[in-house]
Amino acid sequence: MTGATTGRLREITRRTALGALGAGIVGATVASWPRLSGSDIPGRGDNSLSIAIMGTAADAAARQRAIDAFTRLHPDIRVKVQAIQAVDWKDFFTKILTMVAAGTPPDVVYVATEGAQLFADKLAHPLDEYLRRDAADMAEFFADVHPSLVEAFMYKGSLFQLPMDWNAANMYYNTTAFAQAGLERPADDWTHVDFRNSLAAMRKARPTDFTPYYWTNRLFGGVVPWLYANDTSFLKETRSTGGDWLWDSFYANDPSRNLRSGGYQWLEPNADDPRVFETFDYLRGLVKDGLGVRPEEGGGSSLVGLFASNRIGTTPAGGYWVQGLHEAGMKENDYDVAFFPKWRSQRHQFGTAGYAIMKTAKDKDAAWEWIKFSASREAMELIFPNPVTTPARRSMVNEALYSGKGPAHWKVFYDTLDKYPTTGPIPAPPQQAAVETALMKNVSLAVSGDERQLKQALESMQRDLELALRRQS
Amino acid sequence: MSTTIPRRERPKQPAKAAKPGTPATSQTAYGRHSQRWLAWIFLAPTILGMGLFTLVPIAASVVLAFFRWDIISAPTFVGFDNFAEVVQDPTVRVSFLNTIAFVIVAVALQLGLALALAVMVQEKMPAWLRTFFRSAFFFPLILSAASVSIFMRYLFNEQFGVVNWFLSLAGIPAVPWLTTPGGSAAVVILVYVWQNFGFSFLLFIGGLASIPVETYEAAALDGATGWRKHVYVTLPLLSPTTLLASVMAIISALQVFDQTYVLTRGGPGDSTRTAVMVIFESAFQRLEFGEASAIGVILTLIIMAITAAQFRLSKRFVFYQ
Repeated sequence: MTGATTGRLREITRRTALGALGAGIVGATVASWPRLSGSDIPGRGDNSLSIAIMGTAADAAARQRAIDAFTRLHPDIRVKVQAIQAVDWKDFFTKILTMVAAGTPPDVVYVATEGAQLFADKLAHPLDEYLRRDAADMAEFFADVHPSLVEAFMYKGSLFQLPMDWNAANMYYNTTAFAQAGLERPADDWTHVDFRNSLAAMRKARPTDFTPYYWTNRLFGGVVPWLYANDTSFLKETRSTGGDWLWDSFYANDPSRNLRSGGYQWLEPNADDPRVFETFDYLRGLVKDGLGVRPEEGGGSSLVGLFASNRIGTTPAGGYWVQGLHEAGMKENDYDVAFFPKWRSQRHQFGTAGYAIMKTAKDKDAAWEWIKFSASREAMELIFPNPVTTPARRSMVNEALYSGKGPAHWKVFYDTLDKYPTTGPIPAPPQQAAVETALMKNVSLAVSGDERQLKQALESMQRDLELALRRQS
Repeated sequence: MSTTIPRRERPKQPAKAAKPGTPATSQTAYGRHSQRWLAWIFLAPTILGMGLFTLVPIAASVVLAFFRWDIISAPTFVGFDNFAEVVQDPTVRVSFLNTIAFVIVAVALQLGLALALAVMVQEKMPAWLRTFFRSAFFFPLILSAASVSIFMRYLFNEQFGVVNWFLSLAGIPAVPWLTTPGGSAAVVILVYVWQNFGFSFLLFIGGLASIPVETYEAAALDGATGWRKHVYVTLPLLSPTTLLASVMAIISALQVFDQTYVLTRGGPGDSTRTAVMVIFESAFQRLEFGEASAIGVILTLIIMAITAAQFRLSKRFVFYQ
């Protein structure tokens, strides 16, 4: 060793330095190869059942108890949950589609109503054969789940998902703001006029730093609940035939059996309907008179904080808000929930979510076992221990779930379906993303200007929707 | 007294390749050969990177523009249909017009602000304050545009935003920043310029530092002071920097996306929808990858044309010392 014998550090030549750098690069590449090649993604490269959900790593970890229970039941099936962070469902579906394009799709995906028909049309495998085979096991699930939720996952006569959780657009109200304005709890059948009067009373009681009605510009909870209440929508809603096999098997004695179909269809735009104009004009009036805000773009992430700090009087939301308000410091009596106001009808809007088996799934039988297990009461109690959403099972929407958190009238959540069986899903055809863009981009303009601007915005929406539906039909 | 530093003579290159058996030195053909290989080895990562992540995607995008493809089904050749649809699509047309308007206003503001501040900082500030402002103005550039935009959404919220709260202190009624076409366009431009002017600012600082003091002294002797000094000395001598800054600012502004997507989602209506946003929506939301590629190709051609025009015009307006 020259350096040691001479007592001097051996001179590092440029060649040695470059060699070391090269070796370092090669070493780093080898060490990070699993990440570079994506082989560290759960479920990839082995025969595990890979399940994609929208959420964080913490959400994935929260499912671990359910996975453990499933593994005890099916030790031969390995399950790995991959949580994909996304701003909204549209963003999540985009990421799933890129995984499909990359040739690494998950086997099972948790899909909300927004993407149910996109998946049913292009990506998902129907559950019909499994439901027929395991009808005896599944009877208890369907007896506990409202048929409206199931129908939302029917597409052209086949069922593609089992609803796990759901939320209707109910009306949350701040009890303090109501009391300050001298308002009582709204009647179950309050009308859009009553609602406007309530907003006016709140505005009078709190003229500044307060918004009587706050709403967001999106498919769920935006303008659509108002359109439904006025017995219309921005897309023409029809139903497809088929599906009798399911209704006759599981809902033969349900009073709403005759309302059920092979699934919803939204094939044509309807923004030129006079009732659509009337509905938008009503909202425009709220904005103009300072009773409601121009709808905020995005997912309304700031809403919980604003509502919890008593700066919002009312806003449409589902049971998913309860835990958030509780964590934001609201006591169970600080707020409450009511049905959405009545207009020509009192049809509500809802969204639901459940697992879909991908056409490309390695082991569809194993995927079905996971779905069947997830639909069990045991699994759903493990997955939804808190009111972060409304469980699809009626029996789970109970006093225990809302105890200490509120709202006092939590029964409103499931009663929305039971009392108003025509309550319908988010209008989401396979072209949902384009349809949502067409809706959102025109809503703000429609409610922010004069009557002329409203007409122009609705004409523009009609054109955009025609294009959106034509493009991928 | 002048000192002449003896220049190291370059070794003369042999006219012909050395005969076999000649010792391999850097002056031999073998040496040149090995140096060439070494050069290729060093260049390889960049060439590979450029090829794989720039040239191949560009080529793929051009090819894809002639197909209809939704990721899931097999691509179908449609010739120029995608281009025809894109040209007829009012949303695409509006988005390109928005982009051009955005480029004109945002780049003018960005360069104007950067130049004004650079002159001020370079001339009027003590060294320590100059260092501070260099960092402070550059700082927004290192922040994620998406995070900044989320933050700005809160600031500019009509009901509860800090900006309107400040305005209310002066008795100004709440401004619907993000929910009216004019307001949202103003906020997008403001946020974009605030975040990006730091880069142009640094370029101008560098450019100003390279102007010889003697030139200013000579101009002062000729009576050019104050404003005239800047008009007749600073601006002309800064023109190469201005060209570089403007080329980079225009290319960057033509590709604006994060701010519009996060702040306004392109709305209200199409008022802040930009070309790149339409590409994103076509590809990843509507699954029209062919159409998205066609829009991308058109945008690339526009960027190339504008850049070429800038360099062509620069012959008239750019002065090198």
